[in-house]
Amino acid sequence: MKQSRSLASGIVALIVATVIFILPFLFIALQAVKSKSEASRLNFALPKEWLFWENLVAVVEARNYQLLLAYFNSTVITVFSVSILVILSAMVGYVMQRRQSRWNGVAQVALLMGLMMPPAVVPTIGLLQSIGLFKTMTGMILIQVAYNISFSTLLYRSFIATIPRDLDEAARIDGAKPWQIFFRVILPLLKPVTVTNVVVQSIFVFNDFTNPLYYLPGRENITVQLTLYNFQSTYTSQYNLLFMNILLVTIPPLIVFIFFNRQIVTGMTAGAVKG
Amino acid sequence: MADLNLNQIHKSFGALEIIKGIDLDIQSGEFVVFVGPSGCGKSTLLRMIAGLEDVSSGTLTIDGKDVTHAEPSERGIAMVFQSYALYPHMTVAENIGFGLSLAKRPKAEIAAKVQAAADTLQLTHLLERKPKALSGGQRQRVAIGRAIVRDPKVFLFDEPLSNLDASLRAQMRLELSELHARLKTTMVYVTHDQVEAMTMADRIVVLNGGRVEQVGTPMELYNHPATPFVAGFIGSPKMNLYTGPFAERLGCKTYGIRPEHIRVSEDSGDWRGQVRHVERLGADAILYLDVEEASSMMVRLAGDTQLRPGDTVWASPQDSAAHRFAA
Ligand SMILES: Nc1ncnc2c1ncn2[C@@H]1O[C@H](COP(=O)(O)OP(=O)(O)O)[C@@H](O)[C@H]1O
Ligand SMILES: [Mg+2]
Repeated sequence: MKQSRSLASGIVALIVATVIFILPFLFIALQAVKSKSEASRLNFALPKEWLFWENLVAVVEARNYQLLLAYFNSTVITVFSVSILVILSAMVGYVMQRRQSRWNGVAQVALLMGLMMPPAVVPTIGLLQSIGLFKTMTGMILIQVAYNISFSTLLYRSFIATIPRDLDEAARIDGAKPWQIFFRVILPLLKPVTVTNVVVQSIFVFNDFTNPLYYLPGRENITVQLTLYNFQSTYTSQYNLLFMNILLVTIPPLIVFIFFNRQIVTGMTAGAVKG
Repeated sequence: MADLNLNQIHKSFGALEIIKGIDLDIQSGEFVVFVGPSGCGKSTLLRMIAGLEDVSSGTLTIDGKDVTHAEPSERGIAMVFQSYALYPHMTVAENIGFGLSLAKRPKAEIAAKVQAAADTLQLTHLLERKPKALSGGQRQRVAIGRAIVRDPKVFLFDEPLSNLDASLRAQMRLELSELHARLKTTMVYVTHDQVEAMTMADRIVVLNGGRVEQVGTPMELYNHPATPFVAGFIGSPKMNLYTGPFAERLGCKTYGIRPEHIRVSEDSGDWRGQVRHVERLGADAILYLDVEEASSMMVRLAGDTQLRPGDTVWASPQDSAAHRFAA
């Protein structure tokens, strides 16, 4: 009796998951291989002709290979901002967790404000312009770091709280300088959260649409999500190409996600039980 | 091999004074055990010697050098933590050699020293394992190995055996004593367990509420405890201690008599009482008496005693072994 009920609820869960996650993806994939006129009907009918390769080439070649430039730009932004984020917020989280000082309260409030208050776009653009970083990749990277550092720091701080202080002290007795304690003892132990953090942040930064739209205008600064925007405005009727484009920009995060799936879960639950 | 001197060491956390002025001279090569109840400041004192905790006031010298404000790594000490504090991401060999690799010693020298320490501690076959894959006793040995390779002047131990089960603890007590006999290095060992203190120490320092209660060899403390606190702390089962009218009649403020120094007879003696419970340990039996004049009393008897709960008996102290305290 109990078994059949859990079986039934399992099946229901699978159906719900299919509807929510698989169907939209299937829909995108279907439209992406149709012809222009078929795709404009936006239904689940199978294409008469499978135009996968043709659509792929058309999307990649569009606007003088803009998609490739966009991949390059997005990758650069993602790699740099996530690297800075990981190192910086692990260090900040470490200091905040381990050292008690008057500034802890201030830093704490700053972190929470960063987490809760929505950033104002116009003043930010004004600031970027005044320091000469508007419309630059550097500016965009710093924006991504700034927007995500609160979350990242809180993640590290709470994980570091599960690492016994004895380890720091043992290393200190072994003759480690503070930076050696961090880089040789603490940082390696942060691997599970770091994997989680890298994956979550990379996907977020790579998939970001609005921030590059505001802070990184300009043809040569295009990022992958903005290529979709271009398609929508100029080739409104070319749904097949739009969906092919969506498919292409979805794939990198998807691969990352599938590849690191297990580590992400480990990272989320790590520290819950003492190893 | 070094002397260790504590001179009027104080420690306060905020307004709370934890260590209230400790003077202590530890001789080179001595095995000294700090013992006392939980929360009396043993760990804090040890951590000040290690340099992990600032000294509020007073001076600390190791080998004649004032190290009151020196970095831990410059004091020539090594410490074994209760939690072992092994680096989880490093192998046993890397754990043991970490200090040497930080000091940028040549690889061959590190390998040789790690090997030597591992041989001493029977860890050779475990060198490539991570701490996670070791038993409690093995982790303990790695922690000791990490201390040995530093070739310290003073070893510090903070309750290193309290995470082990009873039989392993007994074995490690023996191994630590043998290690000390071999290395002849000054060792300071913190425990709340008076058995560890009695079995391993050259000298015991009994701490109570941030002060030194008494310092002496195990047998000095057993035979001549200076205060009722030491009397009650050293020896197992605990000394029977009485205050109030019972003690006053015997001519003191606090009267103490060890369970092993009381004779029991079924027809005559000093104090009449009833057997409440008999705890049989094999060779010994511990008798719990309800004595009419005092409260309860423990008596140690041979294991084959025929007494049972409910029996009425007479207990008499061996008067020469009684302790009379003025406080
Ligand atoms: N960092 C600290 N801040 C405030 N109080 C502390 C700190 N460390 C220890 N104490 C207090 O000092 C007292 C002695 O602690 P400790 O030395 O660990 O005792 P023991 O090791 O003898 O059990 C305890 O009451 C403890 O609460
Ligand atoms: Mg302690």
